[in-house]
Amino acid sequence: MKESFFRSMTWMHTWVGLLVCWLLYLIFFAGTVSFFRDEITLWNQPALHNVQAPEQRVAQQRSQIISGINYLQNAGPESTRWGIYLPTERKPQLNYAYEKPRPEGKRFGGWQEHNINPQTGDEIAQTRDTRGGNFFYRLHFDLHYIDVRTARWIVCFASLFMLVALISGVVIHKRIFKDMFSFRANKGSRSWLDGHNVSSVLALPFHIMITYTGLITLIFMLFPYPALTAYEDGIRGLFNDVSPTNVRTKTSPDSAPLIAIDTILDQVYTNWPDADLTQISIRDPNKASATITVRADTGSLVRDQTPTLLFNGVDGSLIAKTAAQLTNTEVFYDSLTALHTGRLANPLLRWLYFLCGVAGCVMIATGCIMWAKRIRERMKKDQPATIGLKLVEGLNLATLMGLPLATCAFFIANRLLPMTTPERADKEILAFFMTWLAVALFALFKRARPQWILLAWINAIACISVPVINALTTNGNLISYLLNGQWALFSFDLMCLVFAALFVVQAKKIPTHTPAKTPQQRTRRSAKTKLQEQS
Amino acid sequence: MHELLQLNLCLLAFNCFALAKFNHYRDVFKTRPSDKLSKQFLIAAWISILLSLALSVVQNNGYGALLFCGYMALSVLILMIFYSFKASWVKIMSALNITVVMLSGLFLTVF
Repeated sequence: MKESFFRSMTWMHTWVGLLVCWLLYLIFFAGTVSFFRDEITLWNQPALHNVQAPEQRVAQQRSQIISGINYLQNAGPESTRWGIYLPTERKPQLNYAYEKPRPEGKRFGGWQEHNINPQTGDEIAQTRDTRGGNFFYRLHFDLHYIDVRTARWIVCFASLFMLVALISGVVIHKRIFKDMFSFRANKGSRSWLDGHNVSSVLALPFHIMITYTGLITLIFMLFPYPALTAYEDGIRGLFNDVSPTNVRTKTSPDSAPLIAIDTILDQVYTNWPDADLTQISIRDPNKASATITVRADTGSLVRDQTPTLLFNGVDGSLIAKTAAQLTNTEVFYDSLTALHTGRLANPLLRWLYFLCGVAGCVMIATGCIMWAKRIRERMKKDQPATIGLKLVEGLNLATLMGLPLATCAFFIANRLLPMTTPERADKEILAFFMTWLAVALFALFKRARPQWILLAWINAIACISVPVINALTTNGNLISYLLNGQWALFSFDLMCLVFAALFVVQAKKIPTHTPAKTPQQRTRRSAKTKLQEQS
Repeated sequence: MHELLQLNLCLLAFNCFALAKFNHYRDVFKTRPSDKLSKQFLIAAWISILLSLALSVVQNNGYGALLFCGYMALSVLILMIFYSFKASWVKIMSALNITVVMLSGLFLTVF
């Protein structure tokens, strides 16, 4: 234990932050990107670029659902699950989907999707196999390639470390409000500290909220004991109790005709006269155990659980519905989850979430770099770097510069991979990880200032390449998106250019790596300090 | 228009907080602020920020509180850029900010 509270907190902030900063950067980066996951998915599907949700969107929902049931009855009568996804402002296409036959030993066979332009009623051909923004969303807490449960435990612990680092950071930052607007450029470590402080303080409520609510979303994994004590079947029992609409009925082998969807919709509109429906899911259609789940939009309520009605698919009786009034505990849990996911956000709030997320990435990145720079500054010219310092510098370069480059590779692969490539979506993800691996290997051998500059230029070129390749391989481009008011696509391309510009600034202006001081520099510096002390 | 007013009130508040500080005031006006002036800036800042919060919450309930957090982040970022790199532009920015607050407030009052 250090000799004073302040020094203990400083020590804890440094080490707790440093231990998981690269993982936290990945989590923050992927989380920030996934605030726009629907928009990214739209960008990744050029066939959907000209599709727009109709103006009378809600009024058309009834007929769209009836058409969907008719389509699915013909296309997948034997399927175990059907889905009808209605157009929204962020997902403009009408989507009918049924589950393909499950391979031996698998719990899910994948969706056979049928996309329709809701304005014309025509089928949208040539949609490409891609995970789009959902890849970043899952990467944010499932870390890909790693077993889901293990990954979530890792993310849980990283979040705990982050919360400790945030609180200890507030404690050790003595001039938190005095330095609120101060950024002193070209001052070595001081500038990095200012960057770290400013990016932390400007979005401090967001950082604390997003970390705490992130822990809350995984709380039943981290702290399952109350549920295990109170319910015989543990967490499942708790969820069935809290969300009765999620209860699964046992699949019956007996056939039974699916009830006319009009009967269900009459009940839905009686319960919710002005409902903006988003999704209809049918389990075990044409079987005695059939159930129909209807979900509606939450609007701008700070609530994550969507209003849901669960019907018996054979006799049309209402099995369960989400409670209109939640208990205080449910409101607390649900609103915290809603705050974290940001699904409720309109474009303005979504951009503010994104801005705060970027601030979080900058906070973590400046923290990582600052640690290595300070160690370097304290070293003598001929003193060899320790393995720890080399490791930190290598991981800094690999993570901070590798992740944006890998993201660009993901988008470039989306445009360049042939449409007929088998398992195309997985190949895009492979491009992401292979690029990241390449940068990591590069950083293993070289991680000095020229490598930072080189990778900044490569990142800038990659960021510019994304909208350029998009313009060359599709019918749209930045200008046409602007003229046609396709704001999601325009913002995507514009952001690529903005980040390209930031990488150019980094390559030209920002010294992310400090060479060890020469003896003359050290002498000059210590003389200057002495003079300052005397004066 | 509501959002514009809320954001600009928040920006005005943080600008006043910044100008209440000796170093930021000196960077902009090249003189030292009197204690009375600093206090006035602080009072204006608190009124403005509370007004921004109240308008956000009255307009959008819980969602408004979230928006307000975002407005704070954006305001601090804008001011940090101005005060750190273009302190001489703060006067123009402040004038523009006050004009937008008044015009948007007037618009919402009339319509």
